[in-house]
Amino acid sequence: MTVDAQPAAVTGPQRTLDHAPIVAVVGCGVTGQAVGRVLRDRSVRVAWFDIAIGAAVRASRRLGGVVLDSAGDLGVVDLVVLASPTPQFELAMMLLDDGRDVVSLSDDPDDVEQLLTLHDRAVANEARLVVGAALAPGLSGVMARHLAGLLATVDEIHIAAHGTGGPACARQHHDALGSRARGWHDGEWIERPGGSGRELCWFPEPIGSADCYRAALADPIVLHRAFPDVERISARVSATRRDRLTSRLPMLAPPHGEGDRGGLRVEVRGALASGERVTHVAGAVGRTGDLAGTVGALFAQSCIDGRCPPGVTVAGADASLGAWLMGEAAASGLQLQEYTGVARASEW
Amino acid sequence: MKLVRRALMALSLASLIAGTLRLRGKGGVPPQEGGWKEMRVPRS
Repeated sequence: MTVDAQPAAVTGPQRTLDHAPIVAVVGCGVTGQAVGRVLRDRSVRVAWFDIAIGAAVRASRRLGGVVLDSAGDLGVVDLVVLASPTPQFELAMMLLDDGRDVVSLSDDPDDVEQLLTLHDRAVANEARLVVGAALAPGLSGVMARHLAGLLATVDEIHIAAHGTGGPACARQHHDALGSRARGWHDGEWIERPGGSGRELCWFPEPIGSADCYRAALADPIVLHRAFPDVERISARVSATRRDRLTSRLPMLAPPHGEGDRGGLRVEVRGALASGERVTHVAGAVGRTGDLAGTVGALFAQSCIDGRCPPGVTVAGADASLGAWLMGEAAASGLQLQEYTGVARASEW
Repeated sequence: MKLVRRALMALSLASLIAGTLRLRGKGGVPPQEGGWKEMRVPRS
Protein backbone atom coordinates (compact mmCIF):
# COMPACT_ATOMS: atom_id res chain seq x y z
CA MET A 1 0.00 0.00 0.00
CA THR A 2 1.39 3.39 -0.91
CA VAL A 3 0.30 6.78 0.25
CA ASP A 4 -0.33 9.06 -2.66
CA ALA A 5 2.30 11.74 -3.00
CA GLN A 6 -0.18 14.53 -3.57
CA PRO A 7 -3.44 13.80 -1.80
CA ALA A 8 -6.03 16.34 -2.87
CA ALA A 9 -8.19 16.59 0.19
CA VAL A 10 -6.32 16.08 3.40
CA THR A 11 -7.57 19.25 5.03
CA GLY A 12 -10.77 19.83 7.03
CA PRO A 13 -12.55 16.70 8.18
CA GLN A 14 -9.79 14.45 6.88
CA ARG A 15 -7.44 15.70 9.58
CA THR A 16 -9.52 14.00 12.26
CA LEU A 17 -9.70 10.63 10.50
CA ASP A 18 -6.87 8.86 12.31
CA HIS A 19 -9.22 6.34 13.92
CA ALA A 20 -11.91 6.31 11.25
CA PRO A 21 -12.61 3.03 9.47
CA ILE A 22 -10.94 2.39 6.14
CA VAL A 23 -13.07 1.49 3.15
CA ALA A 24 -11.46 0.23 -0.03
CA VAL A 25 -13.14 1.20 -3.27
CA VAL A 26 -12.40 -1.35 -6.00
CA GLY A 27 -13.02 0.23 -9.37
CA CYS A 28 -12.12 3.89 -9.62
CA GLY A 29 -14.42 4.93 -12.44
CA VAL A 30 -17.32 7.34 -12.34
CA THR A 31 -19.33 5.37 -9.80
CA GLY A 32 -16.36 4.33 -7.68
CA GLN A 33 -15.23 7.94 -7.35
CA ALA A 34 -18.76 8.94 -6.33
CA VAL A 35 -18.62 6.28 -3.61
CA GLY A 36 -15.29 7.64 -2.39
CA ARG A 37 -16.50 11.23 -2.45
CA VAL A 38 -19.53 10.49 -0.28
CA LEU A 39 -17.47 8.39 2.14
CA ARG A 40 -14.86 11.13 2.42
CA ASP A 41 -17.60 13.64 3.23
CA ARG A 42 -18.79 11.26 5.96
CA SER A 43 -15.29 11.18 7.51
CA VAL A 44 -14.52 7.66 6.36
CA ARG A 45 -11.00 6.95 5.14
CA VAL A 46 -10.84 5.69 1.57
CA ALA A 47 -8.33 3.40 -0.13
CA TRP A 48 -8.41 3.00 -3.90
CA PHE A 49 -7.73 -0.04 -6.02
CA ASP A 50 -8.16 -0.56 -9.74
CA ILE A 51 -6.57 -2.96 -12.18
CA ALA A 52 -6.44 -0.16 -14.76
CA ILE A 53 -3.04 1.45 -14.50
CA GLY A 54 -3.21 4.93 -13.00
CA ALA A 55 -6.95 4.92 -12.27
CA ALA A 56 -6.51 4.56 -8.51
CA VAL A 57 -3.81 7.22 -8.44
CA ARG A 58 -6.04 9.65 -10.35
CA ALA A 59 -8.90 9.03 -7.92
CA SER A 60 -6.58 9.53 -4.97
CA ARG A 61 -5.26 12.80 -6.35
CA ARG A 62 -8.77 14.04 -6.94
CA LEU A 63 -10.42 12.91 -3.71
CA GLY A 64 -7.62 12.03 -1.28
CA GLY A 65 -7.03 8.67 0.34
CA VAL A 66 -4.41 6.02 -0.25
CA VAL A 67 -3.71 3.80 -3.22
CA LEU A 68 -3.60 0.02 -2.87
CA ASP A 69 -0.99 -1.60 -5.07
CA SER A 70 -2.53 -5.06 -5.25
CA ALA A 71 -5.68 -6.99 -4.39
CA GLY A 72 -3.73 -8.54 -1.51
CA ASP A 73 -3.72 -5.14 0.21
CA LEU A 74 -7.50 -5.35 0.56
CA GLY A 75 -6.83 -7.46 3.66
CA VAL A 76 -5.93 -4.35 5.68
CA VAL A 77 -9.18 -2.47 5.19
CA ASP A 78 -12.43 -2.71 7.17
CA LEU A 79 -14.80 -2.96 4.23
CA VAL A 80 -14.58 -3.27 0.46
CA VAL A 81 -16.93 -1.57 -1.99
CA LEU A 82 -16.93 -3.33 -5.35
CA ALA A 83 -17.61 -0.72 -8.01
CA SER A 84 -15.69 -2.58 -10.69
CA PRO A 85 -17.08 -4.15 -13.88
CA THR A 86 -18.94 -7.42 -13.36
CA PRO A 87 -18.61 -10.25 -12.47
CA GLN A 88 -17.78 -9.57 -8.84
CA PHE A 89 -18.69 -12.98 -7.41
CA GLU A 90 -15.18 -14.47 -7.18
CA LEU A 91 -13.63 -11.43 -5.50
CA ALA A 92 -16.57 -11.06 -3.12
CA MET A 93 -16.29 -14.71 -2.10
CA MET A 94 -12.55 -14.34 -1.48
CA LEU A 95 -13.08 -11.24 0.64
CA LEU A 96 -15.87 -12.84 2.66
CA ASP A 97 -13.64 -15.85 3.37
CA ASP A 98 -11.11 -13.34 4.70
CA GLY A 99 -13.78 -11.88 6.98
CA ARG A 100 -14.14 -8.58 5.12
CA ASP A 101 -17.47 -6.84 4.76
CA VAL A 102 -18.36 -6.33 1.10
CA VAL A 103 -20.71 -3.93 -0.67
CA SER A 104 -21.35 -4.96 -4.26
CA LEU A 105 -22.66 -2.53 -6.86
CA SER A 106 -23.10 -5.29 -9.43
CA ASP A 107 -26.15 -4.97 -11.66
CA ASP A 108 -25.58 -8.08 -13.75
CA PRO A 109 -28.43 -10.55 -13.05
CA ASP A 110 -26.28 -13.67 -13.22
CA ASP A 111 -23.63 -12.13 -10.99
CA VAL A 112 -26.24 -10.90 -8.52
CA GLU A 113 -27.87 -14.32 -8.41
CA GLN A 114 -24.51 -15.89 -7.57
CA LEU A 115 -23.75 -13.24 -4.96
CA LEU A 116 -27.04 -13.96 -3.22
CA THR A 117 -25.92 -17.57 -2.71
CA LEU A 118 -23.11 -16.35 -0.45
CA HIS A 119 -25.38 -15.74 2.54
CA ASP A 120 -24.34 -18.80 4.55
CA ARG A 121 -20.69 -18.21 3.74
CA ALA A 122 -20.94 -14.63 4.94
CA VAL A 123 -22.70 -15.65 8.15
CA ALA A 124 -20.08 -18.32 8.82
CA ASN A 125 -17.35 -15.67 8.52
CA GLU A 126 -19.39 -13.07 10.44
CA ALA A 127 -19.09 -10.79 7.46
CA ARG A 128 -21.66 -8.59 5.76
CA LEU A 129 -22.42 -8.68 2.06
CA VAL A 130 -24.67 -6.07 0.52
CA VAL A 131 -25.85 -7.14 -2.93
CA GLY A 132 -27.13 -4.60 -5.44
CA ALA A 133 -26.12 -1.36 -3.73
CA ALA A 134 -26.33 0.97 -6.72
CA LEU A 135 -29.16 2.74 -8.55
CA ALA A 136 -31.19 -0.21 -9.81
CA PRO A 137 -30.88 -2.42 -7.91
CA GLY A 138 -30.18 -0.32 -4.83
CA LEU A 139 -32.02 2.96 -4.67
CA SER A 140 -34.94 1.22 -6.39
CA GLY A 141 -35.35 -1.16 -3.45
CA VAL A 142 -34.96 1.58 -0.87
CA MET A 143 -37.64 3.69 -2.55
CA ALA A 144 -39.90 0.67 -3.04
CA ARG A 145 -39.67 -0.06 0.68
CA HIS A 146 -40.53 3.56 1.46
CA LEU A 147 -43.59 3.42 -0.81
CA ALA A 148 -44.57 0.01 0.51
CA GLY A 149 -44.70 1.54 3.98
CA LEU A 150 -47.59 3.71 2.78
CA LEU A 151 -49.67 0.63 1.91
CA ALA A 152 -51.28 -2.19 3.85
CA THR A 153 -50.54 -4.73 1.13
CA VAL A 154 -48.20 -4.54 -1.86
CA ASP A 155 -49.06 -6.44 -5.04
CA GLU A 156 -46.80 -5.05 -7.72
CA ILE A 157 -43.47 -3.26 -8.02
CA HIS A 158 -42.34 -1.85 -11.35
CA ILE A 159 -38.98 -0.20 -11.87
CA ALA A 160 -37.76 1.92 -14.76
CA ALA A 161 -34.25 3.32 -15.01
CA HIS A 162 -32.77 5.88 -17.35
CA GLY A 163 -29.11 6.56 -18.06
CA THR A 164 -25.84 4.83 -17.32
CA GLY A 165 -22.87 5.54 -15.08
CA GLY A 166 -19.42 4.94 -16.49
CA PRO A 167 -18.38 2.96 -19.58
CA ALA A 168 -18.71 -0.41 -17.82
CA CYS A 169 -22.28 0.44 -16.88
CA ALA A 170 -23.03 1.46 -20.46
CA ARG A 171 -21.70 -1.88 -21.74
CA GLN A 172 -23.87 -3.67 -19.19
CA HIS A 173 -26.89 -1.69 -20.41
CA HIS A 174 -26.07 -2.61 -24.01
CA ASP A 175 -25.71 -6.31 -23.20
CA ALA A 176 -28.86 -6.29 -21.09
CA LEU A 177 -31.01 -5.09 -23.98
CA GLY A 178 -29.77 -7.98 -26.10
CA SER A 179 -30.40 -10.67 -23.49
CA ARG A 180 -33.43 -12.40 -22.02
CA ALA A 181 -35.31 -10.37 -19.45
CA ARG A 182 -36.64 -11.99 -16.29
CA GLY A 183 -39.64 -10.83 -14.37
CA TRP A 184 -41.72 -12.14 -11.45
CA HIS A 185 -45.28 -12.60 -12.61
CA ASP A 186 -48.07 -14.09 -10.52
CA GLY A 187 -45.78 -16.26 -8.47
CA GLU A 188 -43.39 -17.50 -11.14
CA TRP A 189 -40.41 -16.33 -13.12
CA ILE A 190 -41.10 -15.42 -16.73
CA GLU A 191 -38.63 -14.68 -19.49
CA ARG A 192 -39.13 -12.24 -22.33
CA PRO A 193 -36.80 -10.99 -25.07
CA GLY A 194 -34.72 -7.98 -24.14
CA GLY A 195 -35.80 -4.87 -26.00
CA SER A 196 -39.46 -5.90 -26.01
CA GLY A 197 -42.38 -4.49 -24.05
CA ARG A 198 -42.09 -0.80 -24.89
CA GLU A 199 -43.61 1.43 -22.24
CA LEU A 200 -43.49 5.19 -22.12
CA CYS A 201 -42.31 6.03 -18.63
CA TRP A 202 -42.34 9.46 -17.02
CA PHE A 203 -39.29 10.32 -15.00
CA PRO A 204 -38.79 13.41 -12.86
CA GLU A 205 -37.81 16.51 -14.78
CA PRO A 206 -35.62 17.34 -16.60
CA ILE A 207 -35.67 13.80 -18.03
CA GLY A 208 -39.41 13.62 -18.58
CA SER A 209 -40.66 10.86 -20.82
CA ALA A 210 -38.58 8.00 -22.18
CA ASP A 211 -39.44 4.77 -23.91
CA CYS A 212 -38.42 1.90 -21.66
CA TYR A 213 -37.99 -1.78 -22.51
CA ARG A 214 -37.46 -5.11 -20.85
CA ALA A 215 -33.84 -6.13 -20.43
CA ALA A 216 -31.68 -8.57 -18.48
CA LEU A 217 -31.77 -6.60 -15.24
CA ALA A 218 -31.03 -7.62 -11.69
CA ASP A 219 -33.83 -5.63 -10.09
CA PRO A 220 -36.53 -8.34 -10.16
CA ILE A 221 -34.14 -10.83 -8.52
CA VAL A 222 -33.15 -8.45 -5.75
CA LEU A 223 -36.64 -7.07 -5.20
CA HIS A 224 -38.14 -10.55 -5.03
CA ARG A 225 -35.66 -11.31 -2.26
CA ALA A 226 -36.68 -8.12 -0.44
CA PHE A 227 -40.42 -8.47 -1.13
CA PRO A 228 -41.09 -12.22 -1.39
CA ASP A 229 -44.88 -11.79 -1.13
CA VAL A 230 -45.26 -9.33 -4.01
CA GLU A 231 -47.01 -10.95 -6.97
CA ARG A 232 -45.51 -8.99 -9.85
CA ILE A 233 -42.09 -7.41 -10.18
CA SER A 234 -40.71 -5.98 -13.40
CA ALA A 235 -37.85 -3.75 -14.45
CA ARG A 236 -37.21 -1.76 -17.59
CA VAL A 237 -34.52 0.53 -18.93
CA SER A 238 -34.81 3.42 -21.32
CA ALA A 239 -33.32 2.89 -24.75
CA THR A 240 -33.26 4.51 -28.14
CA ARG A 241 -34.14 2.73 -31.37
CA ARG A 242 -30.44 2.53 -32.16
CA ASP A 243 -29.82 0.88 -28.78
CA ARG A 244 -32.41 -1.79 -29.56
CA LEU A 245 -31.32 -2.30 -33.14
CA THR A 246 -27.68 -2.79 -32.19
CA SER A 247 -28.21 -4.54 -28.85
CA ARG A 248 -27.24 -7.95 -30.24
CA LEU A 249 -24.11 -6.58 -31.90
CA PRO A 250 -20.89 -5.38 -30.28
CA MET A 251 -21.13 -1.76 -29.17
CA LEU A 252 -20.69 0.34 -32.29
CA ALA A 253 -20.05 3.63 -30.56
CA PRO A 254 -17.81 3.97 -27.52
CA PRO A 255 -19.75 4.73 -24.32
CA HIS A 256 -19.72 8.18 -22.81
CA GLY A 257 -16.64 8.40 -20.58
CA GLU A 258 -18.24 10.37 -17.75
CA GLY A 259 -21.73 8.97 -17.78
CA ASP A 260 -24.68 11.30 -17.98
CA ARG A 261 -27.85 12.38 -16.28
CA GLY A 262 -29.94 9.45 -15.15
CA GLY A 263 -33.19 8.79 -13.43
CA LEU A 264 -35.18 6.21 -11.61
CA ARG A 265 -38.91 5.60 -11.45
CA VAL A 266 -40.41 3.26 -8.86
CA GLU A 267 -44.08 2.33 -9.04
CA VAL A 268 -45.66 0.37 -6.21
CA ARG A 269 -49.23 -0.85 -6.42
CA GLY A 270 -51.27 -2.24 -3.59
CA ALA A 271 -54.12 -1.55 -1.24
CA LEU A 272 -54.77 0.56 1.82
CA ALA A 273 -56.15 -0.93 5.02
CA SER A 274 -59.62 0.13 3.85
CA GLY A 275 -59.21 -2.02 0.75
CA GLU A 276 -58.90 0.91 -1.63
CA ARG A 277 -56.50 0.19 -4.49
CA VAL A 278 -53.74 2.77 -4.84
CA THR A 279 -50.55 3.27 -6.82
CA HIS A 280 -47.62 5.25 -5.50
CA VAL A 281 -44.87 6.51 -7.76
CA ALA A 282 -41.52 7.94 -6.70
CA GLY A 283 -38.43 8.86 -8.64
CA ALA A 284 -34.94 10.22 -8.48
CA VAL A 285 -32.85 12.21 -10.89
CA GLY A 286 -29.19 13.14 -11.07
CA ARG A 287 -25.95 11.97 -12.57
CA THR A 288 -26.29 8.20 -12.72
CA GLY A 289 -22.86 7.59 -11.24
CA ASP A 290 -23.60 9.95 -8.35
CA LEU A 291 -26.92 8.29 -7.59
CA ALA A 292 -25.38 4.81 -7.60
CA GLY A 293 -22.24 5.90 -5.78
CA THR A 294 -24.18 7.60 -3.00
CA VAL A 295 -26.25 4.49 -2.39
CA GLY A 296 -23.12 2.32 -2.38
CA ALA A 297 -21.42 4.64 0.11
CA LEU A 298 -24.46 4.73 2.39
CA PHE A 299 -24.63 0.95 2.44
CA ALA A 300 -20.93 0.90 3.32
CA GLN A 301 -21.65 3.31 6.17
CA SER A 302 -24.53 1.13 7.34
CA CYS A 303 -22.21 -1.89 7.48
CA ILE A 304 -19.64 0.09 9.45
CA ASP A 305 -22.34 1.25 11.89
CA GLY A 306 -23.61 -2.31 12.31
CA ARG A 307 -27.00 -1.55 10.79
CA CYS A 308 -26.62 -4.58 8.52
CA PRO A 309 -26.40 -8.00 10.20
CA PRO A 310 -23.83 -10.59 9.07
CA GLY A 311 -24.95 -12.32 5.89
CA VAL A 312 -26.51 -11.00 2.72
CA THR A 313 -28.43 -7.74 2.78
CA VAL A 314 -30.43 -6.38 -0.14
CA ALA A 315 -31.95 -2.95 -0.56
CA GLY A 316 -35.51 -2.78 0.66
CA ALA A 317 -35.49 -5.90 2.80
CA ASP A 318 -35.26 -4.07 6.12
CA ALA A 319 -37.71 -1.24 6.78
CA SER A 320 -35.65 0.54 9.43
CA LEU A 321 -32.49 0.36 7.34
CA GLY A 322 -34.51 1.59 4.36
CA ALA A 323 -35.80 4.57 6.33
CA TRP A 324 -32.27 5.44 7.42
CA LEU A 325 -30.98 5.13 3.85
CA MET A 326 -33.78 7.30 2.47
CA GLY A 327 -33.08 10.02 5.02
CA GLU A 328 -29.34 9.92 4.46
CA ALA A 329 -29.74 9.82 0.67
CA ALA A 330 -31.87 12.95 0.77
CA ALA A 331 -29.44 14.61 3.18
CA SER A 332 -26.59 13.70 0.82
CA GLY A 333 -28.22 15.72 -1.91
CA LEU A 334 -30.02 13.09 -3.96
CA GLN A 335 -33.12 14.54 -5.61
CA LEU A 336 -35.86 12.19 -4.48
CA GLN A 337 -39.28 13.03 -5.83
CA GLU A 338 -42.81 11.70 -5.66
CA TYR A 339 -45.52 11.83 -8.26
CA THR A 340 -48.58 13.67 -7.02
CA GLY A 341 -50.99 12.87 -9.82
CA VAL A 342 -53.07 9.79 -10.40
CA ALA A 343 -50.89 7.14 -12.00
CA ARG A 344 -52.31 5.83 -15.24
CA ALA A 345 -52.96 2.11 -15.38
CA SER A 346 -50.53 0.39 -17.70
CA GLU A 347 -49.85 -3.12 -18.87
CA TRP A 348 -46.59 -3.94 -17.17
CA MET B 1 -31.38 -1.13 -63.43
CA LYS B 2 -29.85 -3.71 -61.10
CA LEU B 3 -28.53 -0.91 -58.91
CA VAL B 4 -31.95 0.72 -58.70
CA ARG B 5 -33.57 -2.59 -57.76
CA ARG B 6 -30.99 -3.12 -55.03
CA ALA B 7 -31.49 0.40 -53.72
CA LEU B 8 -35.26 -0.05 -53.64
CA MET B 9 -34.84 -3.37 -51.88
CA ALA B 10 -32.55 -1.83 -49.26
CA LEU B 11 -34.97 1.04 -48.71
CA SER B 12 -37.90 -1.34 -48.34
CA LEU B 13 -35.99 -3.46 -45.87
CA ALA B 14 -34.96 -0.42 -43.85
CA SER B 15 -38.55 0.85 -43.80
CA LEU B 16 -39.80 -2.53 -42.69
CA ILE B 17 -37.32 -2.71 -39.79
CA ALA B 18 -37.98 0.89 -38.77
CA GLY B 19 -41.72 0.31 -38.96
CA THR B 20 -41.47 -2.78 -36.80
CA LEU B 21 -39.43 -0.96 -34.20
CA ARG B 22 -41.76 2.01 -34.29
CA LEU B 23 -44.98 0.10 -34.06
CA ARG B 24 -44.08 -2.50 -31.45
CA GLY B 25 -45.24 -1.39 -28.03
CA LYS B 26 -48.02 1.00 -27.42
CA GLY B 27 -46.30 4.20 -26.43
CA GLY B 28 -48.20 6.12 -23.84
CA VAL B 29 -50.19 9.17 -22.93
CA PRO B 30 -48.65 12.05 -21.01
CA PRO B 31 -49.99 12.43 -17.48
CA GLN B 32 -53.03 14.70 -17.61
CA GLU B 33 -52.80 15.92 -14.04
CA GLY B 34 -50.34 16.16 -11.19
CA GLY B 35 -46.58 16.22 -11.41
CA TRP B 36 -43.39 15.58 -9.55
CA LYS B 37 -42.58 17.24 -6.27
CA GLU B 38 -39.64 16.91 -3.96
CA MET B 39 -40.00 14.13 -1.42
CA ARG B 40 -39.58 15.17 2.18
CA VAL B 41 -37.81 12.41 4.00
CA PRO B 42 -36.90 12.92 7.66
CA ARG B 43 -33.45 11.82 8.77
CA SER B 44 -33.81 8.91 11.18
